[in-house]
Amino acid sequence: MKWLLLLLISLPVLGQTLSENLEKKKYYYSALNEFFLETYSKDITQAHVERLEKLLFFTGIELLEDYDHTLLEKYPTSSTRFILARRYFHKKDYKKALEYFGKVHVDHRYYPEALLLTAQVHGSKNDYKLEEVSYTSCQKAAEKEEGKADNVKIKRYYRMVYEICLTNKARRLYKEGKYKESLDAYGQIPKQSYKWPYIILEQAWAHYQLGDYNRALGLLVTYKSPLMDTYFFPEAEYLTALAYFKLCLYEDSLIVINQYYQAYRPRFNQLESVLKKNRSSQNYFYNLMFKKGADLGKQEEFVRHIITRLKKQTRFSLDFNSIHKINQEMKRIMKNEKKAAQDEFIDHLAAVKENMISKINYNAKTDIFNFLETVPFFSSELFKVNLEVLSRQKDLVYTNRKLAVDRARGDYSNVKRSRFEQFWKFEGEFWGDELGDYSLGLKSSCQTVRMESAEE
Amino acid sequence: MRIIAFLFSFYIIAEAQGQDQKVIYQYKKYEKFDLGNLEVKGQLIAPGDISVRERDRKRFELDLYTRKDFDPFIKKDIESLR
Repeated sequence: MKWLLLLLISLPVLGQTLSENLEKKKYYYSALNEFFLETYSKDITQAHVERLEKLLFFTGIELLEDYDHTLLEKYPTSSTRFILARRYFHKKDYKKALEYFGKVHVDHRYYPEALLLTAQVHGSKNDYKLEEVSYTSCQKAAEKEEGKADNVKIKRYYRMVYEICLTNKARRLYKEGKYKESLDAYGQIPKQSYKWPYIILEQAWAHYQLGDYNRALGLLVTYKSPLMDTYFFPEAEYLTALAYFKLCLYEDSLIVINQYYQAYRPRFNQLESVLKKNRSSQNYFYNLMFKKGADLGKQEEFVRHIITRLKKQTRFSLDFNSIHKINQEMKRIMKNEKKAAQDEFIDHLAAVKENMISKINYNAKTDIFNFLETVPFFSSELFKVNLEVLSRQKDLVYTNRKLAVDRARGDYSNVKRSRFEQFWKFEGEFWGDELGDYSLGLKSSCQTVRMESAEE
Repeated sequence: MRIIAFLFSFYIIAEAQGQDQKVIYQYKKYEKFDLGNLEVKGQLIAPGDISVRERDRKRFELDLYTRKDFDPFIKKDIESLR
């Protein structure tokens, strides 16, 4: 059967292998599978390595994620080494991970990502100096590759790698308690970046740590803008309540807490029950990603927001792009090839496609459940803030005191800003270019005065 | 020597007989104390007024969560790439 196929397909150019013929017809996914079958029992030469790299350039490495370790070891390409290094990284075998990341060629397209993960390995080993060096190299390599790329999506991928390396530098500075330096690093990420909406929360934490609660609150207000409605984080609600609490604006803190409990908690519970029913489904979450907004129930509104976020991930683009290319290849084989060839290749392609769908489904499911897992934690933390607010209010009553400021609203004098930051008043409208630059001007109410009794 | 042995055995027999007797300890079943007659040595001082030293109430503060690092975010970013 195999020989008959070989004869049918390779009839036009005799002397070429089946995989070469498939590749010539741009059936890259089928060619890749055939290439492994043809070469696995042979000694691997430089020509084999170069050919594999060429095929992987078209197919991507996503479908090799599940391939056997021994098979990948046999082909010493930068792509296979990169996959193996990532496996060691996830297994926390950092020595091996560093060894394999080091084997990725400097000019290879995965080199910037390899440097990003190398920095991560150094970070996990608490070697901050080498971590910093690797992040800087990662930024340089990503910029270089971005400059070389002519495809918009590829450029975007390298920009993403660049920004992750930069963000991770800022995160390292935050971890070391260097909050001002960390804010400088965060400030280098442009507002157009895909990462930017996530960074607002991190910047708010850095301002909170510096005691600038008004700036932290202002940054968190950004999430209320209609442009940012897909970005909902329970942690942002918690930090808002906490910042108000630190300013002794207890009423405001309680409003945030009550809104959270009344508006979001029932929805989370409903959503959880819907999702749990489909926990073991192989395609529910995949299908959910392509469900139209109008078909979603109210309880699924959050899922739609999370899914919009997931769709913006590089991982989703790569996997979905693979599915699209496999579909195209299947269609062309069905249209142009004979029945025998169709039977031989379509089954394999269908299996690869199914595998990719399961992968997207699994990733979406994991992300949604991970998001839901943060909810109980921050609900309980908000409850603690609630208790603390009540305790402080009770103290004021017991000590016959009241807060010095009766919740008088903002004033410019309470806004801290650098000489590079401009100031406009908020007129009840969110403007795209202003997002992320807001600051509240609330005065801390933490000073107390003794209340005059009726007899006095 | 025989005489000594005879006296010693006589002594042992007498001791053994003595051990068989039960010793009963009896405690006082009733004792009366006349508290009015008891004399306590010392100085009798009566407080002029009752006072309580003012002190702050002990406050129990809850340990509110603050983020120490963004390690989970770093992990998530890596996973989002592929």
